[in-house]
Amino acid sequence: MESVKQAFELLFSLDKELFQIIGVTMRMSFFSTLISCLIGLPLGALLGTKRFKGKSFILKIVHTLMGLPPVVAGLFVYALFTHYGPLGQLNMLFTVRVMVVAQCILITPVVIGLSASIVRDRSKPVIETARGMGLSNTKVLGLCLRESRASLLSVVLNAFGRSIAEVGAVSIVGGNIQWKTRVMTTAIMLETNKGRFSFALALGLILLMIAFIVNILASFIVKEPADD
Amino acid sequence: MIKIENVKKYYKERCVLDIESLTVEQGETLAILGANGSGKTTLLRILAGLLKADEGSFELPAPVLYLPQQSYAFAGNLVRNVLMGTKAAAGEAEQLLDSMGLGALKEKKAASLSGGELQRLALCRLLIRPAKVLLLDEPTAACDAQGTALIAEALADYQQKEGCSILLSTHEKEFATACAHHSITLRDGKIEKEQEEVC
Repeated sequence: MESVKQAFELLFSLDKELFQIIGVTMRMSFFSTLISCLIGLPLGALLGTKRFKGKSFILKIVHTLMGLPPVVAGLFVYALFTHYGPLGQLNMLFTVRVMVVAQCILITPVVIGLSASIVRDRSKPVIETARGMGLSNTKVLGLCLRESRASLLSVVLNAFGRSIAEVGAVSIVGGNIQWKTRVMTTAIMLETNKGRFSFALALGLILLMIAFIVNILASFIVKEPADD
Repeated sequence: MIKIENVKKYYKERCVLDIESLTVEQGETLAILGANGSGKTTLLRILAGLLKADEGSFELPAPVLYLPQQSYAFAGNLVRNVLMGTKAAAGEAEQLLDSMGLGALKEKKAASLSGGELQRLALCRLLIRPAKVLLLDEPTAACDAQGTALIAEALADYQQKEGCSILLSTHEKEFATACAHHSITLRDGKIEKEQEEVC
């Protein structure tokens, strides 16, 4: 109860640092979800609807990457963007942008794998009907995505959930720098390490509240087909 | 004209379709009769390009439209479903829905239709487009007598307007008699009865 009280006190205190952390968290999660979905949903739809040589091998790689440990992704991105790394000249290490890159590496396979499975299950009657109507391949693909949109929303929310809750990769590439790259999860980790469990729990509750609000907003944007 | 020569399809070792020769003249309707599993759907899906034949060849003029056995109700109302992917006017879609006895339901969600209504809607989605060949897989399977009569009438009107060939599979001999110029009966993938005059 103490943590719940503290969470509301924190929110209503209009603490500048807290709102800056929430802002960075939302910015990072929004862009990583957006980019992952822009890449992952069409690729998932392609894998779910098309038959081609090597598809099963590609799906195995995607399924393996779905379980990629965040610290491994973080280390990989760190190695890429570190001063002596191949992309070191971009000077992106310890910025929100590189945190988004790490998140995308983690989330995109999840979006591809889940959307491929959803579209595959729903696509057969859609494809037969749409092809029968003489629609182009692009339109058929678009229809498959559109007809699965309620289920695909859960993929988007899953991606957002992974992004907002992730700590391993963002702490490695972001560095948890105050007023710059500190996000809710890294702040919780820091407060826990300092022994301020109650405060850390309060931050956790705020994080949950944000995720809940995003879920409610998303359900307004895409309604179930029956309510369409 | 549709010309089919030695088209064969195997599932594993089993030959499920073996059509030596079949011709359908432009503007004619051929009814394909036969029991379940006789190869009717396989033949239509091959002609529609949804399935590859293992042997043989066929020719048919484009565009080809295909009505699957189980149609899908796209999200949205009936008018939106009919207009999907076309530049036709809403009035044209409404007219077509009226002719199929679906005019009163035009603002309803397609997902709320009964099986027979959905089949008629699916046919409307095809008939709003131009075609040289119509491939219809059991278009009246879920329809009552009134629905079947509406479909037969709509097909005759469309054929007269477009001059297209129609291949339709059916279990209903009466429907075949009402719509088709010829019929064949398939058994184990082969033509058991040669083309015969129906009407």
